[in-house]
Amino acid sequence: MIKRVEINYRGIFQKNLAKRIGGDIVIIASRMGKVAFSNGRYSDSPERNGIPCKYFAFVSPDLEEEELEAECGAKLDIDEADVSVVLDETMVKGVEPWGWHGVRPINEKVTEKGCLLVVSHKEPEALLKFIGKKPFDYRIAILDGDASLAGLWVFKDDLTHERVLGAIAAVDPEIISIDAVEDFVKWKYKEERRAQAARQAYDATLRRISRVTPELGIEWPHEVPILPKWHEFGEGVVVPAVERGFEMGPRGQSRNTMFKRGTTKTLRPVVRFDLCIGCTLCWLDCPDECFDPVEGKLYDVNYEYCVGCGKCAVVCPVPECIVMVDELKFEDDSSPWEHYRRDPQGYIEWAEEKKGTDRYAYPHVTGTGFEIKAGSAPPAKVGK
Amino acid sequence: MAIAQEPQIWEREDLLTGCQAVSQAVRLADVDVIAAYPIRPYTEVMDTLSKIIADGQLDAEYIIADSEHSQFEIVKHASAVGARSFAGSSGTGWMYGFEALVVTASDRLPVLFLVGNRALDDPGAFGVEHNDALAVRDMGFLLMWATTAQEALEHVLIGYRIAEDKRVRMPMALAMDGAFLTHSQHMVRVPSPEAVKRFLPPYELGDRRLHPDNPISIAPQVNEDWVIELRRQNWEAARRARGVIKEAYQEFNSVFGTDYSNPYFTEFMTDDADYVLVGLGTVAMPGRTAVRRMREQGHKVGYVNLRWFRPFPTEELRACLGRFKGVGVIDRDFAHGSPDSGGILLHEIRSCLYPVKERPKIVNIIGGLGGRDISIADCTTMFERTRQAVESDSDDEVVSWIGLRE
Amino acid sequence: MAEAPVIVFDKIRTVRDTPLEEMFTSGHRTCQGCESAMVMRHFSKAAGPRTIATGSTGCMYVANTAYMTTPWIIPWMHTQLGAGGSSAVGTAAAIRALRRKGKIADEHINAIAFCGDLGGGDMGLSGISAALQTDYDLLIILYDNESAANTDIQATGMTTYGAQTTFTPPGTEHRIMQRRWKKNVAPMLAVGHPTCRYVATASATYPPLDFHNKVRKALAIGGPTFIHTFDPCPKGWDYHPQYSREVGELGIKSGIFPLYEIIDGKVTYTYDARNKERTPVREYLMAQGRFAHLIDEDIDYIQSMVDTMWNEWEVPGLAPFKGGLELAKV
Repeated sequence: MIKRVEINYRGIFQKNLAKRIGGDIVIIASRMGKVAFSNGRYSDSPERNGIPCKYFAFVSPDLEEEELEAECGAKLDIDEADVSVVLDETMVKGVEPWGWHGVRPINEKVTEKGCLLVVSHKEPEALLKFIGKKPFDYRIAILDGDASLAGLWVFKDDLTHERVLGAIAAVDPEIISIDAVEDFVKWKYKEERRAQAARQAYDATLRRISRVTPELGIEWPHEVPILPKWHEFGEGVVVPAVERGFEMGPRGQSRNTMFKRGTTKTLRPVVRFDLCIGCTLCWLDCPDECFDPVEGKLYDVNYEYCVGCGKCAVVCPVPECIVMVDELKFEDDSSPWEHYRRDPQGYIEWAEEKKGTDRYAYPHVTGTGFEIKAGSAPPAKVGK
Repeated sequence: MAIAQEPQIWEREDLLTGCQAVSQAVRLADVDVIAAYPIRPYTEVMDTLSKIIADGQLDAEYIIADSEHSQFEIVKHASAVGARSFAGSSGTGWMYGFEALVVTASDRLPVLFLVGNRALDDPGAFGVEHNDALAVRDMGFLLMWATTAQEALEHVLIGYRIAEDKRVRMPMALAMDGAFLTHSQHMVRVPSPEAVKRFLPPYELGDRRLHPDNPISIAPQVNEDWVIELRRQNWEAARRARGVIKEAYQEFNSVFGTDYSNPYFTEFMTDDADYVLVGLGTVAMPGRTAVRRMREQGHKVGYVNLRWFRPFPTEELRACLGRFKGVGVIDRDFAHGSPDSGGILLHEIRSCLYPVKERPKIVNIIGGLGGRDISIADCTTMFERTRQAVESDSDDEVVSWIGLRE
Repeated sequence: MAEAPVIVFDKIRTVRDTPLEEMFTSGHRTCQGCESAMVMRHFSKAAGPRTIATGSTGCMYVANTAYMTTPWIIPWMHTQLGAGGSSAVGTAAAIRALRRKGKIADEHINAIAFCGDLGGGDMGLSGISAALQTDYDLLIILYDNESAANTDIQATGMTTYGAQTTFTPPGTEHRIMQRRWKKNVAPMLAVGHPTCRYVATASATYPPLDFHNKVRKALAIGGPTFIHTFDPCPKGWDYHPQYSREVGELGIKSGIFPLYEIIDGKVTYTYDARNKERTPVREYLMAQGRFAHLIDEDIDYIQSMVDTMWNEWEVPGLAPFKGGLELAKV
């Protein structure tokens, strides 16, 4: 029997977290007398901030180590996952880790009877709005919590690591048992509160597992790309440049269609076009060239390519003009400016509804904290 | 009415070293960019070229590089932009720039390099040894040895013709024994520019040219989805090169009236030979002289001088060597710890002859390293060892050394 | 006082005059908030379509042209890590030869090579040095994110004193493993190559358009030129990506990264940190997780080095010669 765990995480921000979880699964399983090993998905390397990445752990109660390695190791990607952990809920919108492959469903590898375990404050229905249907039953489980994000050097010690271990024990005790988890956490990390956090997460997650039947979810026509045979593409490692093309208006700039990057974002910028003074700084300072200049000295956002870094929101000199909003509040990447142009008042209302009153405040050093502050909705300045 | 002059093929005869002969060919090929860096024994090619340029005989950019790595990178990039480019090195210098050489091959750029074969450091030593040029053999290079200054001159032209062909587009290393060929002066026929123009077409990269009118990205990063297919492409190009080589020699013969019947190797007195020696480079001269003298004594011996190492002429060499009772492979190189501790050429020849039902006995003689002489008498000894191996039917002493104080 | 020579180039006067068209476009695998990507975007925007770029191995290679795709609109070629200088020379030499020999149209084409820390400050230095001695029209850009970022953050010759990287982790025995002071590359190149007319430092975002205009000046002045950019890196420096611009400004305003141009030997400060009230380096350092392990002693040391740089150096921020010139006493 082989149990496969994949941990979907935000590159760099959750790198250490994912590695700890994956590594600890192996140690816990070993202490239970099983055979196990873990590895990262090599082609996610080098990791970049926000890029969707995977870490794996494989456990078997009966195989020899070499056989487990032969089945599961030395591969680019996992074949199937009994538990697919999603450490940042926005990843349920799908992930595009590499070029040519397009956006892949988050539950792509989940097996029948397997479980998608999502760290989230939301209910499964809210997440299933974005997740592709599968032709069989599987499970979805929620571990209540924020996405724990940190940088490379300063780890965010918010007990997510311990809690996820407890949650995995809840959704699939054949991988690791909660007793073994508690035992290990106490032994390795010493503090009682950590073992307790694991146990509490276990108890809570047991009550948050639901069945997903084949009609739940959305249509997701994803195919593995058919790449050209060796004699079907030009020699000399040459690819054509992106064709030159620019005109004013939404999507007026030519872009690289083979790799869009939109699934990197956890937040997206919502723009109050009516407040904009046309200073150009959002467009000028975007490292991903996501703004399209439009008439009226405004700048449309191309959400297909936006990676959600937040620089535009910080550099914008007008308060509340650009605000970063939870990615899961949006169901498509349509042009916001076109919406504004069609219906300025309606757009402003829509924008404020999306923004709500929560403003995400990150400290400079990501792993040192995270706050939600109150924002305010300025009145509409329509008729500019 | 004036009668049209017969177009002149050969302009003059000059006393030239091997390096100088190559310089003349580079001039005739109208090379656009040259990158120079000094290391014995190839440097003279660059000295000569600088004078040729200074005297206005060649219009080219001549860059003095800060290292061999830079030197080879310069010509690689110049080639990508569409400039016919030339560089070269020897021994440890060639190794210094090795990264750049490997990348030039995988970028499929037809740069031509002169390798003045020299022993690898350490210790520093200037004498001839073949390991430097042989080091690129797996990378997707065209690789050949010239045996005379005349041959060297001609093979710069033949080399560009083959390398730049769009079915090939591989860099070429033209190897030449250090000192014995690089520095030795012989009378060499120098072709006329008009004749060269008739043979060598201009360098056209087509849609691979790096220029604002043809916007491309060359060598983007790839992942596991692409590497093996790219390797297969390069593998195929090396195979296609064989046919292009044949064409190029036919064209060369027809323009220059030369007599290259077999592009890959020459056979000397092999028709009814029992034992032959095979080697690369100037060892052919004592080798063939030994053959002549032994033939006068009634021994049925012959010499095969291998010209093209990459692409390796597998079928042709198999057909040729498979006929003999014994083959003595001369390695002016080493391959420490390899099977039977034989030299590089031994392994290639053994591999080539493997499918032959009645294989000849193969022995390997390692000699001439670091410039140690290989004399006519040495060659006679090598024939002896080959014969002994055949007659004793022994596989015991496959590899021996010659000229070694032991 | 001698005037800086007038260089005729198409200056971008205000942000409104910035060319709108991209020459390096969306669809690259850089980190959120990547300032080096800003350098790529803006040098190519400033240079325009009649440009050939070569990029050495590093983040701006692997993260940009990832997976057999490309975000480049201008022609671009990969080059080896230490080949920034030599690739620029090879490209420029080919352009010159082919133009002169009538094999391509006789028009100016920009030759620009870029390299990161290692390619510009360590491995590639000899090639860059040789390039700056030539008379080819070329520009070499060292995009400096203060680490070997593509290999997941190791220390290089450009890494700040005290910074954490995978090669310089703080440990129980040694708190500071990164004891090297940042190499002063731009002035080193300016001093060493008297015929190189233009050497500058820049940031892609601050002040706005400064980098664009420096690129245009470099391309217009003729001969080989060099620009060293200061690229805050959210991944390696450990700060939230939205603060990239702010961290860059702090680095400049604290005097840690001097911003200037050297044109025909004349130094002009873009941001004159000599006489301004410099932001305490503490503010800059504490905004980044890579310095989280520093204690007051370390911060004071860094502050003192920065103060010396601006208060005591003969050419403040540039040349570490102190105390005037004296004849040696025999």
